[in-house]
Amino acid sequence: MPAPEREMSVALARSAGRRVLWFLFVSSLIVFMIGPIVWLGLRAFSGLWLYPQLLPKQWTVNGWRQVFNDPNLSHSMKLSFEFAPVVTVASAVICLPAAYAFSRYKFPGRRFLLISLFAVNAFPKIGLYISMAGVFYSLNLISTFLGVVIVQLIGTIVFMTWIPAAAFSAIPRSLEEAARDVGAGPLRVFFRVTFPLAAPAIFVAMILSFLASFDEAQGTFLVGVPKYITMPTEMYTLVLNYPEQVAAVFALLLAVPSVLLMALVRKHVMGGKLAEGFQIR
Amino acid sequence: MNRKHLGAIIVLALAVVLASLAATSKAATKRQAKTDTIVLYASGDVNVQSLWQQYIIPGFEKKNKNIKVKFIFSEHGVQDTTTLARIGAAVKQRKWPGIDLVDAGLVTTLATDGLTQPVTKATAPNIKNVDQKLLTPVKGAAIPYRGSSVVLAYDSKNVPTPPKSLGALLAWIKAHPGKFTYNSPNSGGSGYSFAETVVDSFIPANVLRQMQTGYFPNLESNWKQGLDLLHSLNQYVYQGVYPNGNAAVLDLLGKGQIWVAPVWSDQSLTALKTGQLPPSVHLTQIANPSFTGGAAYLGVPKSARHKVDVYKFVDYVLSPAAQTQIINVMSGFPAIPLKLMPKAIQNKFADVSANSLRPTYAQKQQSDFKAQWQQNVP
Amino acid sequence: MVLPPVAVIAVFIGFPIVAAIAYTLGRAGGPNSVVASLGQRQFIVQHGVTLDAYRDILGNKTIHRDLWATVWVTVLATLVVVVVSWAIALYLRFSNTRLARIVSGLSVVPLFIPVVIASYAMLVFYSSDGFMRSVAYHLGWHSFPTLGYTLWCVFLAEVWVNIPFGVLMMSSGLNGVPDNLIEAARDSGAGMPRVVRSILLPMTIIPTVIVGTFTAIYVLGSFTVPYLTGPTAPNLLGPSMTNFFSAFNQPQQAEVLAIVVFVLALGIGAVYVWANVRTGKRSAVAP
Repeated sequence: MPAPEREMSVALARSAGRRVLWFLFVSSLIVFMIGPIVWLGLRAFSGLWLYPQLLPKQWTVNGWRQVFNDPNLSHSMKLSFEFAPVVTVASAVICLPAAYAFSRYKFPGRRFLLISLFAVNAFPKIGLYISMAGVFYSLNLISTFLGVVIVQLIGTIVFMTWIPAAAFSAIPRSLEEAARDVGAGPLRVFFRVTFPLAAPAIFVAMILSFLASFDEAQGTFLVGVPKYITMPTEMYTLVLNYPEQVAAVFALLLAVPSVLLMALVRKHVMGGKLAEGFQIR
Repeated sequence: MNRKHLGAIIVLALAVVLASLAATSKAATKRQAKTDTIVLYASGDVNVQSLWQQYIIPGFEKKNKNIKVKFIFSEHGVQDTTTLARIGAAVKQRKWPGIDLVDAGLVTTLATDGLTQPVTKATAPNIKNVDQKLLTPVKGAAIPYRGSSVVLAYDSKNVPTPPKSLGALLAWIKAHPGKFTYNSPNSGGSGYSFAETVVDSFIPANVLRQMQTGYFPNLESNWKQGLDLLHSLNQYVYQGVYPNGNAAVLDLLGKGQIWVAPVWSDQSLTALKTGQLPPSVHLTQIANPSFTGGAAYLGVPKSARHKVDVYKFVDYVLSPAAQTQIINVMSGFPAIPLKLMPKAIQNKFADVSANSLRPTYAQKQQSDFKAQWQQNVP
Repeated sequence: MVLPPVAVIAVFIGFPIVAAIAYTLGRAGGPNSVVASLGQRQFIVQHGVTLDAYRDILGNKTIHRDLWATVWVTVLATLVVVVVSWAIALYLRFSNTRLARIVSGLSVVPLFIPVVIASYAMLVFYSSDGFMRSVAYHLGWHSFPTLGYTLWCVFLAEVWVNIPFGVLMMSSGLNGVPDNLIEAARDSGAGMPRVVRSILLPMTIIPTVIVGTFTAIYVLGSFTVPYLTGPTAPNLLGPSMTNFFSAFNQPQQAEVLAIVVFVLALGIGAVYVWANVRTGKRSAVAP
């Protein structure tokens, strides 16, 4: 084959080869990411399904009937939706002022406190439970709404301090100073200038906190029993003991609110300023 | 757009807070009507859950309209440690642990550590029918309410003549690689029983008796032979993995992936009834030695509330009516003598009752055994 | 103003951690008295401290196996998450096609699925009658390995759970690199690999370090994923710790393991802090 044609066919083969590789990568990624969820979704509607069939032989809504007829499951669903918003709002109220302080004031030990807020979350929770039981008892918080809120709130503190702090830091002080120069009081400056600019990041932090509270299982059981059993705590029983169909149904139900929230957050988070939120300045 | 989103969320959250506050205050006013609520915590497999929730509790509440029983369930006892800690902390501080009655493996630990209330004939008259020998391992501070034994399940289609002794079973396992398994001892009692039975076959009788009644860490060197044998079985076990929990093993048996397995008598009889196990699966007991079995205990934490109501409930559980349900629903052995049960039941269990089962180790000895298994076998 | 969250953490986490450390060193008084009265195989002293509990754990064969399993799964999962997050983020940055947006949207899905369900879904997907084996069967491969209940399933599930954060972080980091820089490099004739190596990588060290450290810490201390998808033995330190706590009734040893994991996590966190400090020093010209 003459030289230039050989070169061109080699180049074509190489680019075709690259395309095939690329196609393989993307398709296996898609299968890897959503395959398990789709597979589980199919199980939620399956009656008889034997290996190695790729689809169930019988379809049924029996699993759904079982889940909705179970009084424990519907009650735990209601509870999960009661706790998560309360925890999110409480976390915002407690942490946002601190986030502002971390961002605007350079007090001694600032970095240390910021890091330690993050560090204590790395401690494996099972090791904490025994000691925590004692503390909660002496404060009379066991089996109270407030007790569960505190346990879930602990998991959200990192989100609610770090992300807003970075957002506040990104707002130029000159804007705030300009507002103050024209006579606005500090609160007015905060609500009219600072807060709206930081709002997207705060919104993201609230969504992440909501999900952290929603997902919390072991701590809630320690403190909430017998009155307050949320969906994730209920899931342990289901996943290991009920037939796959029932577990699959409950799994889908648990995922629905998350999917809805994802639609809200996607635009703000993808391509947003998330990375800056995790830098210690 | 951002402000609107945020505003919407804040309004929603406030609405939820107000709603829940309203709900809790409504519940508070309802509670002022004269019903007591006692809380029952149970852990185990799903059959235990349905026994309490669908049969015994409704039966009791129908007879006692002023007592409500709130039921909390924890599978495989995953939450048992945290619950043990809570009860311990509460009893020590003389506060209510959130639970008034416990049905779980941890009850024996609570009882031997003095955290549960001894229940006497004065408070629950039906206790007089229970075999007093069953009260010794728990120092009288817990109430045995049903019995179960681990038995051998086998698929009669593929195993026409099942092994009848431990020796024959071990030979069968080696002759049919991949067709047998047992769950890890720390995740379920059926697998635990198999492992302990193999080890017990090498222990002299007097040492065994000591281990069944007390905690003797210095005697644990007697386990070595049995543990080595269990380790040698790794290559013959289904996929070389020990499943997590009793139900997982029943699942494999039902799907036909294995042919022989140790199972709880009550759990497997129920599974046969519901069709989870095909009718070709049969049960048998082995000899020399047989698998272990024993009683399940109820415990009343010392700082429980409404103790009078709790004793009434315990008394109901020991009544022939409730015990019949335990047999019918869970295929368990009754804790009271058969002569007090209806004739049909007596015929079913000709000569078996909770106390004629081969006992297992004392609670702390069991924990050490599980640790040794984990370290030396898989 | 900073006090409220710090106080909550100090009382409800800080104090129990201090009590747990005291317990592992043999002190059984005060907040530790309840658990000390229930456990077995403990090493308690009335005065001073003892390291016997640590010696017991660190000499334990089971722990050696589990520690090794934890280390390799953590390292491998972290590497894969970093590489895959980079790939997806790059794809999203440089091609604005619908396919790219779909891929990036899907890669964020696991963030909103609770871990219990995610683990269960992975287990069923890779089990002996799951999707992988069924598809392989139809392609003629009848003995495709069952990955369920193996450390490989734990590894795959951990990657799955951590990819969303990685993708979000990396795409946010890549977006921080100005377009004109990249265009300038392209105009001077640099190919894609060169652009990545010389421009993108150095400017996104922090997000990359964040993804790496956060993933590593998460996998190190995880419980639900290895508990539901992992083998009997060896397994990660999370389920192992729980075994010591409940099944073996050795709470002191379990707390020792908790502190070991904590120290390892702190070590990884130190990498993150160091990276921040270094970048902070370099960019002295801050807005």
